[in-house]
Amino acid sequence: MPQRDEDRTPLRRRVLAALLTVGFGVLALRLWQLQILQGEYYEQLAQSNRLRLNRLPAPRGLILDRRGAVLVTNRPSFSVSVLSMALRDPPRTVRVLSQLLDLPEEEIWKKIRGAPPFELIRLQRDVGMGVVSAVEERRSDLRGVTIVAEPVRLYPDRTLMSHVLGYLGEISAEELSVLRPRGYRLGDLIGKAGLERSYDAALRGEDGEQVVEVDAAGRPLRVLRQQEGRPGNTLVLTIDRRLQEVAEQALGSQPGAVVALDPRTGEVLALASWPTYDPNRFAVGISAPAWVRLASDPRHPLLNRAVAAAYEPGSVYKIATSLVALEAGAASRHSAFFCPGQLSLGGRIFRDLRAHGHITFLDGVAQSCNVMFWQLGLRVGPDRISRMARMLGLGERTGIDLPGEAEGIVPSPTYKERTYKEPWYPGDTLNLAIGQGYALATPIQVARMVAAVANGGRVLRPYLVRAILDPEGHVLARFGPQVVRRLEIPQEAWATLREGLAAVVARGTGQAAAVPGLPVAGKTGSAETPRGRPHAWFAGYAPAPDPRIVVVVLIEHGGRGGLAAAPVARQVFEAWKRLYAPDQLAIAHP
Amino acid sequence: MDWLLVASVTILCAVGTLAVTSATRTAEAPLGLLPARILHLGIGLGVLAAFAAIPYRLWDRLAGWIYGACLLLLVAVDVVGRESLGAQRWLVLGPVTVQPSEFGKLGLIVILAKVAADHPPRRVVDLVRCILYVLPPTVLVFWQPDFGTSLVFVAILAGILFAAGAPLRSLVGLGGVGLAAAPLVWRWMKPYQQKRLWVFLDPNLDPLGAGYSLIQSKIAIGSGQLWGKGLFGGTQSALEFLPMQHTDFVFAVIGEELGFVGALGVLVCFWVYLLRGLRAAHRAQDPFGSLLCAGIVSLVGFHVLVNVGMTVGLAPITGIPLPFLSHGGSALITNLAATGILLNVGSRRRNRSQG
Repeated sequence: MPQRDEDRTPLRRRVLAALLTVGFGVLALRLWQLQILQGEYYEQLAQSNRLRLNRLPAPRGLILDRRGAVLVTNRPSFSVSVLSMALRDPPRTVRVLSQLLDLPEEEIWKKIRGAPPFELIRLQRDVGMGVVSAVEERRSDLRGVTIVAEPVRLYPDRTLMSHVLGYLGEISAEELSVLRPRGYRLGDLIGKAGLERSYDAALRGEDGEQVVEVDAAGRPLRVLRQQEGRPGNTLVLTIDRRLQEVAEQALGSQPGAVVALDPRTGEVLALASWPTYDPNRFAVGISAPAWVRLASDPRHPLLNRAVAAAYEPGSVYKIATSLVALEAGAASRHSAFFCPGQLSLGGRIFRDLRAHGHITFLDGVAQSCNVMFWQLGLRVGPDRISRMARMLGLGERTGIDLPGEAEGIVPSPTYKERTYKEPWYPGDTLNLAIGQGYALATPIQVARMVAAVANGGRVLRPYLVRAILDPEGHVLARFGPQVVRRLEIPQEAWATLREGLAAVVARGTGQAAAVPGLPVAGKTGSAETPRGRPHAWFAGYAPAPDPRIVVVVLIEHGGRGGLAAAPVARQVFEAWKRLYAPDQLAIAHP
Repeated sequence: MDWLLVASVTILCAVGTLAVTSATRTAEAPLGLLPARILHLGIGLGVLAAFAAIPYRLWDRLAGWIYGACLLLLVAVDVVGRESLGAQRWLVLGPVTVQPSEFGKLGLIVILAKVAADHPPRRVVDLVRCILYVLPPTVLVFWQPDFGTSLVFVAILAGILFAAGAPLRSLVGLGGVGLAAAPLVWRWMKPYQQKRLWVFLDPNLDPLGAGYSLIQSKIAIGSGQLWGKGLFGGTQSALEFLPMQHTDFVFAVIGEELGFVGALGVLVCFWVYLLRGLRAAHRAQDPFGSLLCAGIVSLVGFHVLVNVGMTVGLAPITGIPLPFLSHGGSALITNLAATGILLNVGSRRRNRSQG
């Protein structure tokens, strides 16, 4: 072995040994302190003291409408919880609790067994004062059972805009496995639908926590540690509650949807879907039978028909067909057409409802003349129509800040070949031109398309949240218009299309949407569907010269758009005029 | 054969087995995790025997391969690993889950011992070479995130550099550079990782989690007093509060059930183990063997001081288990393998003088 006298490693090893010995000495002294000097103190703590961990649940954030009206808030409530390690006589306690809470004993056992003994297990939320006082009176019998004050979600307007607001539910195992690192815990309520879901992270606060020392009877003696929680953030919506109310009243008890947008920004002013549900019933965790009843209701009350359901668009599709025909020069303001009430193509006869005779392009739009649009469809071809439909945002999610948005379908020859392994027939082109056949669109997509027509070609992302505020009211985030794409189409084409849409309401199929003193433009639709009466559509905007609101109405199996949907739209336009432009002159000066 | 070393490891493993069983047994499963523990011990003893028999020079030759394999495993755990308790630390191989960062500790010791033996860290460039080997595994475990293990890696580096005779000035300088880089790393982390690091540094921020465990751990140990409550006697409620009593807080079980006498006995066993490890470093016939032993002593010493320090409230709450005692197969096998290496290195000289 070579000599390494100059080497400092042997010394270093001795230093290491000394350091380790000092470290172990410190630990030994600490053990002496804890176990010998303070041993009796800790022994007492271990025997008599009981430490309790309490969560101080943070209230969820508020949801306000665009003018500050409260749409969702919280109310105080009491829950009954147990700490299973503190139970003195578990079978007896469970029996008593089962009677008090009207819960089967097995269910209580299941909850107790499913959690660690040191965790507080919530048995029932939002119990009445009767239960609270019964538990307090029998405190000595019910050791380990505690009453916890917790805020509960309150939707004061009950069913109003329930599909926008959404509802809560207990976090599922899958959600928990993903979200546990973000501080979510077993038994937490989490947004399951609507804005409650898409903004759950902003709305949920941070629970506070405290460690409490309690006496032998479980009464708190003192707080050893406490960390304050933080309430959730506030959402300020683009929705105008007053307009929303009108939209829902106008829709009445007809399965369908109403969407109102500001075409300049994409702000959603109202979004209604019927049938509705009462999200308050979910606020403390919905009971299983009630859930089954809602989820299996054949009318699908949980479905947001404005966003999550796609329908045959019918004649509202003619907006896209018109635009592509005008852009391609296949039609212009003065183009003349002849409508004999039918069209023969490849040996087949396609019939329209009536023969319009000699008409101009504007008449054809106003009367929704199928023969004219068939002719236009054949002139421009299916590819250009479906491309324009896509450009206008059909067949793609709008990106609205709600979960579960449907995509819709824009058919094209390639789509048909890929999906049905069938060639595209000329008859398919006729269907495409008038929005029949394979096409499907959601009301929010149609609203966005009409908004693009109203604002001269800007396809916007519709949005429901204008701002997020912290609990003190400071702005954390502000949301504004987002232009998804801009259509480069000559001004003349836009102008002619808008003239046609104005004619629809002035003298055509959409006259039921007309409002005195407010120029309205739009398009009706009566979309054939294989499942029953046609869906009734109206999609329009006002004031026609300077559009500030888009309204889209869909009535499932409502029949004629001009008869069923246009009057609903009229009520929304009327309300908007009353609220935003009571005097016609004011329109130019918002 | 170093019989003192063998005796201390035997006692530690036995006490650990009893403590883990005591902490995990329930009315339905009176044996708790005992069967798994016995399986780990069986494998571990086989590995110990093998490592004691294999000439340690082999590790010198294989160092590069071992290091590469460890890095691969750590990358794999980040990519396909299983997440548990908020961190991705485990690899699932059929019925077995392994924690590659445990094997990585030993792999790191081997490569650092080789690098520091081949190029004694006297000059800055030699120091930097060692750091470059430590950096990748440290970043990988940090990312899991497993702050505790990345600290262990740094401790191994410090221990080996110190034992290899690196100038004190440069060691202090290194620490300074590390502190200066901290803000950069901080900005690089995700918010929930930052939160977890805050809690690591200050358990009071998480009274329900780490801070609460600390109170309960102190109550358990303190109430054990001089003689303890007897084996399996620590059934008082405080212990049920401890969510990791058979892993990170196993020392609290010992303190409660075996009292000051038992806890001190465990510390003495560790102390003997570490001093015998340094003796093996001294007896080694070459710098590589010596540094190998120094690295193992740093590993085990750091684990013991930090883990016990944590349970008695002197060190921050980390995910660092107690060697030979905490439940966990990967760690136990790694530590027994390391013990085998100590035995082999310590016996080399005598073998040669006899032969």
